[in-house]
Amino acid sequence: MARPIESRRRTTVPGSRPQPPSKTRKTIGFVAGTAVIVACLLLVDARWENLSELPGNLGNYVSLMADGVLSNPLEDPETGYWQRAFELMLESLYMAWVGTMIGAVVSFPLGFLAAENISPRPVVLIVRQILNAIRAIPELIFAIAVMLPIFGFGPAAGALALGVGSVGTLGKLTAEVIEGIDRGPVEAARATGARQLQILRWGVVPQALPEVVAFWLYRFEINIRASAILGVLAAGGIGSLLSQLFAGTRQWDRIGITLVVIIVVTIVVDLISAAVRHRIISGGKQQLVEVAETSSIPAAS
Amino acid sequence: MSVQVASTAVGQVDRSAWPRKPRPRWSLWFGLVVVVAITVWSMISIEFTLAPLFTDLTRGAEILERFFDPNWEFAWRIRDAWMETLYIAVIAAVVGNGVALFLSMLASKITNPNTVVYQGFKTILSVVRSLPDIAYGLIFAAAVGNGALAGILALIMFNIGINAKLTSETIDAVDVGPLEAADAAGGSRIQRAWSAVVPQILPNYTSYSLYVFELNIRASVVIGIVGGGGIGQVIRVQLNQFQYENLGAVIFALFVVVFLLDRVSVWIRRRLV
Repeated sequence: MARPIESRRRTTVPGSRPQPPSKTRKTIGFVAGTAVIVACLLLVDARWENLSELPGNLGNYVSLMADGVLSNPLEDPETGYWQRAFELMLESLYMAWVGTMIGAVVSFPLGFLAAENISPRPVVLIVRQILNAIRAIPELIFAIAVMLPIFGFGPAAGALALGVGSVGTLGKLTAEVIEGIDRGPVEAARATGARQLQILRWGVVPQALPEVVAFWLYRFEINIRASAILGVLAAGGIGSLLSQLFAGTRQWDRIGITLVVIIVVTIVVDLISAAVRHRIISGGKQQLVEVAETSSIPAAS
Repeated sequence: MSVQVASTAVGQVDRSAWPRKPRPRWSLWFGLVVVVAITVWSMISIEFTLAPLFTDLTRGAEILERFFDPNWEFAWRIRDAWMETLYIAVIAAVVGNGVALFLSMLASKITNPNTVVYQGFKTILSVVRSLPDIAYGLIFAAAVGNGALAGILALIMFNIGINAKLTSETIDAVDVGPLEAADAAGGSRIQRAWSAVVPQILPNYTSYSLYVFELNIRASVVIGIVGGGGIGQVIRVQLNQFQYENLGAVIFALFVVVFLLDRVSVWIRRRLV
């Protein structure tokens, strides 16, 4: 605490305070930013007057949904609603899991090819561009463009779309983990006369694997949400049910039950996954937990 | 040469002098078995198969052909929808990130000493985050009608969910020194948050906010499909009419737009962070 004060005392000659840094650039940036935002607000064709209906409508929906959620789940229509919602949520989880596994299996070797300390430069550049391209496209588009025409409607197509979508992020993150490894074990493996593949197996993989597996689990959490989106295109899962309910007569009690199932299952799976991630990453090295927690989240999309 | 010598020598070396090979941990094998079991079970449950790739490729080929023969003129004709998507993404990012900063202050024990309130906000945030963006799109489209407003509102919720969690975790990890200094100087709750916490989290918060903005372009497409306006609505209509040439053009253009905005975002981040 005391150190910064001391150092300032030593370096600053009394009476000659440094000029405060110029604020011109900051001001220009601020004005430009504000101008963009105001332009967006003026140009967007939103019916702002409908905003006044929002609280009333939402309140109305919430009370209708609460009716459905709070009524006896053992009585007839509600039992079916809960069951159906759980079944389809489970289907979403299956989709997300299979998609994650496809992504993991495909992205793992690609991660090596995209790591600058492993692969030759041209290969790295090409693979990186492929991964970037995949990351730029939402899963939904994969589903529309490629999966549905070939695989038809259903959860299998959804899982495949999630898998392809996962390859982009996972490949990039895997490459970054591999680039961050310690050179020591690699040199040790080389010194014992290991071949290239053996160096990768014993020098690189053990260092990278815990973090990479944590990213897989994190991607699984993202894919659960993404699978709901694919459901809108009749790819199965909880999203199909949601869009059906909204497209029809909007039985708000049933919608409420479905939303509660989504919330509860997602939170429970997130908690389990987070616990496993912490366990995998820490494995004796506690300080890595924070690193993975902060680095995994913003990078994934 | 030397390798050969070594390998012949190994046969005669007294192996008991070697360090014992570490036994593979049972927990590792157990985990592996569980993962494989879950995967197989999931694949069976959703009837996952790659067979159509080989048998039905021709069925998709016709559609794919039309996809790769994009109708560029269409992508330009719907320029209003592109702009609408951009407006929606910007407005939602500004509002959502602003609210997220405020909520994350309330959901961190550093800035909110009241345990009950802080736990309460943490729970609310995890509920907000657990709903997929599509659910928000459907709900707000029902509440305020199809169009840009529904898209903006849904994206705001989506942005709050992501950014507030990340920022509140960053707040949890700040250096408490400046906070103690602010307390010692008699700062109020808001003053200490503004002058001791915000400067510390600003770089991370800025990069989360930009990250959320990048996500918004993609997410607004999805939300548009269920009634949130913008390019998503166009995609929905073209898909329903099987206009694959138009869809192809929109998707390629989307690809370019997302790429360009990623560049812009990287450029801004470099300036700010």
